[in-house]
Amino acid sequence: MKVLMVCSGGMSSAIVVKSLKQEAERQGVDLDIKAVGTGEFEEEVKNNYDYALVAPQVKHRFKDYQVSADAVGVPCELIPPRGYTPLGAPSLIKQIQAGVK
Amino acid sequence: MIEKFLVWLEEKFMPPMARLAEQRHLKAVRDGVISTLPLIIVGSFFIILAQPPVEALQELVAPYVGDIMIPFRMTVGLMSVYAAYGMGYSLARSYKLDGVSGGVLSLATFLMMNVPLNVDGVLNEAMEAGIEGADPIGFVLPMGNLGGAGMFTAILSMIVAVEIMRFMTVRNFTLTMPEQVPDSVARSFEALFPATVVIVFAWIVRVMLGFDINELMMSIFSPLIEISGNNYFGVMLPVLLVTVLWAAGIHGMSVIGSVMRPAWLVMLDANIEAVADGGAMTFGEGGLPYIAPEPFYQWYVWVGGAGATLALAILLVFSKSAYLKQVGKFSIIPGLFNINEPMIFGAPIVMNPILAIPFILAPVVTTTISYFAVYFGLVSGLTIMAPWTLPAPIGAWMASGGSFAALLLVLINIAVALGIYYPFFKVYEKKMIEEENAEIQEKQKKQATRETVTA
Repeated sequence: MKVLMVCSGGMSSAIVVKSLKQEAERQGVDLDIKAVGTGEFEEEVKNNYDYALVAPQVKHRFKDYQVSADAVGVPCELIPPRGYTPLGAPSLIKQIQAGVK
Repeated sequence: MIEKFLVWLEEKFMPPMARLAEQRHLKAVRDGVISTLPLIIVGSFFIILAQPPVEALQELVAPYVGDIMIPFRMTVGLMSVYAAYGMGYSLARSYKLDGVSGGVLSLATFLMMNVPLNVDGVLNEAMEAGIEGADPIGFVLPMGNLGGAGMFTAILSMIVAVEIMRFMTVRNFTLTMPEQVPDSVARSFEALFPATVVIVFAWIVRVMLGFDINELMMSIFSPLIEISGNNYFGVMLPVLLVTVLWAAGIHGMSVIGSVMRPAWLVMLDANIEAVADGGAMTFGEGGLPYIAPEPFYQWYVWVGGAGATLALAILLVFSKSAYLKQVGKFSIIPGLFNINEPMIFGAPIVMNPILAIPFILAPVVTTTISYFAVYFGLVSGLTIMAPWTLPAPIGAWMASGGSFAALLLVLINIAVALGIYYPFFKVYEKKMIEEENAEIQEKQKKQATRETVTA
């Protein structure tokens, strides 16, 4: 699965992405995930992603991301607040698996 | 009551603020200004070479200050030129128009607001007087309004240029090329009519009517900049708005920064300019004109990220609650580099009536301390834009041009924030431990019943 995560500057999402990768490896889930900042999302989402995740602190831009994701047919969802921490990795993996199908 | 306030924040206060920040033109301003930041960061650092923190070095470099400051003049000193292009690009893209054309038109309009001068007449006199280096040079463009001072003119130019371009494209007032013409060639012709209108319009306004937009914009905005840069309440306002928005769960800085960053850059430019002209590194007459450009908040207030949360991260690491300790463990290292989202959502601080209070209160207190420390010249003011992911004491030391008092101020602010977070942390920790114990008891009870059932 190829997943794109977006936050404001691409810094905090990188932390969450790192823990997601570890959790995916532990569970044996095939996960190719990348974090970007707001400005890069529109272009990056065009690169054959299966799923896009939006960090909770930029939920006010969710509609914008959704428009860019819809344009290339990528499902796009918001991360629930408590999922946006290294501890939230297991639940976030479930969300990804449910969202991709 | 605090719960009610948080719900009100989320439902009533946040949506209009977020909509404002996502407004198309403001978003263009944000993108354009952000695109200049790498240049601002690099350019502002040259002041540290021109005004090294060691006195012996100062004497050594004194004869070369003019040359040393050239990268500053070509970056920070021309920031509105870069911003005009970046903003125009972003606004045009948001209308699904060609970004490069929008950027170029916006830049041209901005430059048209400045009148080039021919100073050869003056130079001739200088040549006759035998002054070295005085050769005729043709037209020159005064740089005074191309840096921070021109920021608001650049914003206006960008809006006018791209809106004209959009109007003409929508109404089909453009030159459409036959299909055989390559795309890139066709695009350059498409921008031809809008360019004509934009340039002629700017020419009439600025040159024919002699209307000085720069002067008008500065007379409107300089009182506002004075308030947000030097007035205690003006300096405090962004702190309150950023923390309150975060407490409701959205990135306060990305909302408030969109609106404030042009003003913060104007202040930073003015501060560096003052030092480049030989002024003192402290606030006040003969020194820096502004207390609070962006680095003031970044280094003195947001220690560990919005909410001055490094203090909380330290408390969490030593927490007796298993969960909070875990949060502390993954928060402390990112916190040193001013990244605190995992903690804000993990602890959580968002919509948490206990932790939201110190999250708002601690920065208010540290802003007050820092404001007066800069105001009375106890610490150096801010002249340098350092990358925001540096640990705060180091960032503050750099951003103040190598002032150890600034570093000390950050340490004091961390200690104060610790004191403010502590009682709230204790209350929250107690609640968490009770919940954790209840959970353990619950599990044990279940296990006990299961055992009786199997027995």
